[in-house]
Amino acid sequence: MTTYPANQGTVVVASRSLNAEHAVQALAQDLNHAHLGGVIFFCSAEYDLDRLAAALISAFPDVPVSGCTTAGEITPHGYDRGSIVAIGFDRRVFAIETALIGDLDQFALSDAQPLVDGLIERCRRQALAPVNEHSFALTLLDGLSSREEQVLATLDAALGRIPSFGGSAGDDNHLAHTHVYADGRFHSGAAVVVMINTGLPFEVFSTHHLIPLSHKLVVTEADRERRRVVELNGLPAASVYADLVGVSPNALAPGVFASHPLAVQLGGQHYVRSIQCVNDDGSLNFYCAVENGIVLTAMQPAPLLDDLNRMLQGVTARLGQPSLMIGCDCFLRRMELEAVEHLEQASTLLRQSRVVGFNTYGEQHHGMHVNQTFTGVAFGTLPTFDE
Amino acid sequence: MALFQLSTSDDTSLSPADLREENRRLRKICQALMSRVESDSGADGAPYAAFERSVLLAEQVRERTDALHRALDELGQANTRLLAAKAEAEAANLSKTKFLAAVSHDLLQPLNAARLFASALETHALPDASQALVGHIGRSLKDVEGLLGTLVDISRLDAGVLHVDKAPFSVSTLLDALAEEYRQVAGVRGLALHYVPSSAVVESDLALLARVIRNFLSNAVRYTEQGRVLLGCRRRVEGVEIIVGDTGPGIAEQQREAIFLEFQRAPDAQRHHSRGLGLGLAIVDRISTMLEQPVTLASQPGRGALFSITVPYAEATAPPSVPDTARAPRLPEAAEDPLNGSVIWVIDDDLAIIEGMQALLGSWGCRVRAAATVSALEASSDGERPAVLLVDYHLGDHRETGLALATRLRRRYPGLAAVVITANHDAVLSRAAREAGMHCLLKPLKPMRLRMLLVSLLTQPLGAKD
Repeated sequence: MTTYPANQGTVVVASRSLNAEHAVQALAQDLNHAHLGGVIFFCSAEYDLDRLAAALISAFPDVPVSGCTTAGEITPHGYDRGSIVAIGFDRRVFAIETALIGDLDQFALSDAQPLVDGLIERCRRQALAPVNEHSFALTLLDGLSSREEQVLATLDAALGRIPSFGGSAGDDNHLAHTHVYADGRFHSGAAVVVMINTGLPFEVFSTHHLIPLSHKLVVTEADRERRRVVELNGLPAASVYADLVGVSPNALAPGVFASHPLAVQLGGQHYVRSIQCVNDDGSLNFYCAVENGIVLTAMQPAPLLDDLNRMLQGVTARLGQPSLMIGCDCFLRRMELEAVEHLEQASTLLRQSRVVGFNTYGEQHHGMHVNQTFTGVAFGTLPTFDE
Repeated sequence: MALFQLSTSDDTSLSPADLREENRRLRKICQALMSRVESDSGADGAPYAAFERSVLLAEQVRERTDALHRALDELGQANTRLLAAKAEAEAANLSKTKFLAAVSHDLLQPLNAARLFASALETHALPDASQALVGHIGRSLKDVEGLLGTLVDISRLDAGVLHVDKAPFSVSTLLDALAEEYRQVAGVRGLALHYVPSSAVVESDLALLARVIRNFLSNAVRYTEQGRVLLGCRRRVEGVEIIVGDTGPGIAEQQREAIFLEFQRAPDAQRHHSRGLGLGLAIVDRISTMLEQPVTLASQPGRGALFSITVPYAEATAPPSVPDTARAPRLPEAAEDPLNGSVIWVIDDDLAIIEGMQALLGSWGCRVRAAATVSALEASSDGERPAVLLVDYHLGDHRETGLALATRLRRRYPGLAAVVITANHDAVLSRAAREAGMHCLLKPLKPMRLRMLLVSLLTQPLGAKD
C-alpha cells in the first residue's frame, strides 16, 4: 500500500512490461489507496488495448481512469518507449472528473456547454477549492482526427476562464491508430476532457525553441479536409519545401520536418504547423489545420535544452520545486533530441522537475492546436495538509 | 530579399519563358492571398479559421488578464498601504486612550485623599480667613475632580470598556436629586431652576443617563447669563423626553453639529470663565449612541436652547428594583444625626485614603476603625459590631476583591451594610454589588454622596437591605 505525500497528493508509477495484465498489476499495487480519487495514464500503442482496458477496469473499479496512446512516454526516469506511466490522485487534494466526447465530428457548442457545466458541478460537489480559480482542463484528443481545431475552439468557449491544455494521442509514428481512453474503453475519433480541481498551486505553460527566418511560403492550393498543402508559391509543395531546406524531395522524412519547421504568424507570435508526411503526388500533409492563402514562415530551432531549462527554472521560481508536472511533448522535439543525441540530458532535466507525460501528435493550449511545443501543467506543494 | 525564393538569378538573364513562369506563380500567389484575405473566416467553421480565432481570443484574454493583474496588483498595494496607515492610526489612538485612562485613574487616588482631607479640615474650628481658604481648596479640588472625571469618562467611552446596564427606575429618583444639586449651583449664578417632577418609570442606565442630564444642566448654568433653567419631562409615545432648557444665548444653526464634537466650546465660552474641556456634549453624544436613546437640540439664537434625551418607558410589569442610591434623603436634624456614634469599618490598602477617611468620618461623629486587612481591623475593634463596612474593591494584586471580602464579613456579621468603593466605572461591578445586596460608590468619592448614603443605610432597620 502506497503512502501519498501529504502535501502533494500524487503518486506516479511506470511499468515497462508489455503484458497488459502485468503492467496494470504493477500500477495498481502502487496507486491503489483508500483515498485514490482518479488515475491518468499514458501508454505505448504497442499494448493490446482491449486487454489493457479490461485490466484497468478490474484494477480500478471505483475511480475515473483516463488516458491515451503515445508516440513515446515520459516516466519518472525520463523519455521511454513501450511502457505505461500512470498518475494516481489523492481525492483529499484533487477533485478529478472526466467526460468523453465520443464523436468529434458532431461536437458543437450546444454539446460543449452542458459537458463543461457537468464537470464543474461534479468537481464543486467535492468541495476542495473554489472551482473557478483552482481548476484546469486536460484534453486528450485522437491525434489523427482533422476536427481538433473546431473541437478545441468550442470547448475553450465553454470553459471560459478555466485554463486548458492537452495533447493529441500518438502511435509511435505509425500514423495509423491513435486512441484515447475513458469510461473503461479505448476510443478513436474521440476526445477525453479531464477537469482537475485542486488546492495546490499550479501553472499551465507552453514553450518552444523555434525562431523565425526570413523565408516566406504562400499556400497557393490546399485541401483543408485532409490538412494537405498541394502547392506552395504556385509549385508542388514537397519540392518547394525540399528546395527551401536543401535536400532532395525523396529525402524528406520526420527528422527533416523536425529541424526545418514552418509556422504561421498571428498577433506577433509564431505557431508551428508541423508537416506529417509527403504524399506521392508531391503534396504535404500537416498535423494541424491549413488553408489556402496562409503564409508560412520558415523556422529554425534554437538549442532545445536551453529553452527547456529556462522554462523549468521559471516554473520553479514561481511555484517552488514542482511536486509533479504533466507534460505534452511534441514527438518531433523528441526526434530532434535523438538526432543531436541530447535525449539523455533532456531526460535528466525532465526527471529533476518530476515531469510525467507523453510524446504527442500535437499539443493544445488555451483552445489552440499547436505543434512542436512542450505544453503542460506544473503543481507546487501545499505548505501543510490536514490528515 | 528572398521573400518567396522564386528565382535566384538576375532579371536580365531570364528568358521570356522563365518570366512567363514567374508571372504565373506570382498571379497564383496573389490569387491565394486575395482569396484568403476575402474569405469569410467566421461562418464556414473551417478548421484553420477556428484555430485563428482561438489564437486571437487567447491573445485578447492574455492582454486582459495582464491588465487585470496589473490593476489587482495596484489595488493590492494601495490596500496594503491603507491597512498599514489604519493600523498605525488605531495603535496611536489606542495608546492615547490607554494613556489617558491610566493617567486619569492614577490621578484619582491622591485626589480622592486630598478631597477627604479638605472636607475633614472644613469641620475643624479655624479662623475665618483660614476657613475661607479651606473652602477655596475644596472647590478647586472639586473642579479638578470634575475635569478628571470628564477625561476618564471620554477615555473609557472611547476605549469601549463601558457597558450599558439598563434597569427600570422612576425618573423622579434621578431628577429630584439633580434638581436639588443644580438649584444651589444655579442660585450661586443668580439663576432660577424650575423643576417639574414626573412620576414616569423608565428603562435606562441610571449612571449614564445621570451623566447626560448633568452635562445638560452644567452647560445651561454655565452659559446662561440671566433668566432661568428648566428641568422637566414630556410624555411622548416613544418614551419620556427629559428636557433641560435655558434662557441663554442659544446655539446658531451652523454650530449645532460641531458642539457635539470633542473640545468644541461655545465661541464666547472664555467669557464665562468656564473650566470645561469642551467634552461635555461629546460625552453626551457617545452615551446617547450607546444607550440608543436619542438626543435632540432646539434653539433660537438669543432666546435660549433646549436639550433633551428621550428614554423609553419601563415594562409595566417590572417594578423599580434599583436601590435608591441617587435619592437625596432629607437631612435629619442634627440632634438625631444617625451617623453620631455609629461604628464604621473602612478597609483600604492605601494609607492616605485610610487616614483621609478616618478624618472625614470622624468629623461626622462616627466611630471609625480603618485598616488594610480584616484581622488588623478586628484586632483594634474590641469585639465591637460594625454597622457599615466601606471597602475598596481593588485591595492589591494578590488579594481577594473588596466584594468577596464584604461577602465574607457579612456572613460573620449578619445585617452589616456594605459599600464597595471603586475607581472602576464598569457597570458590571456596580451590578455585581447590587446583586450581592451591597452598594457601590465610584472614586473620586464625593463626601456629600457618602454622607447621604450612610444616613440612608443607618436610618433603615438592620437587614432591610438584604
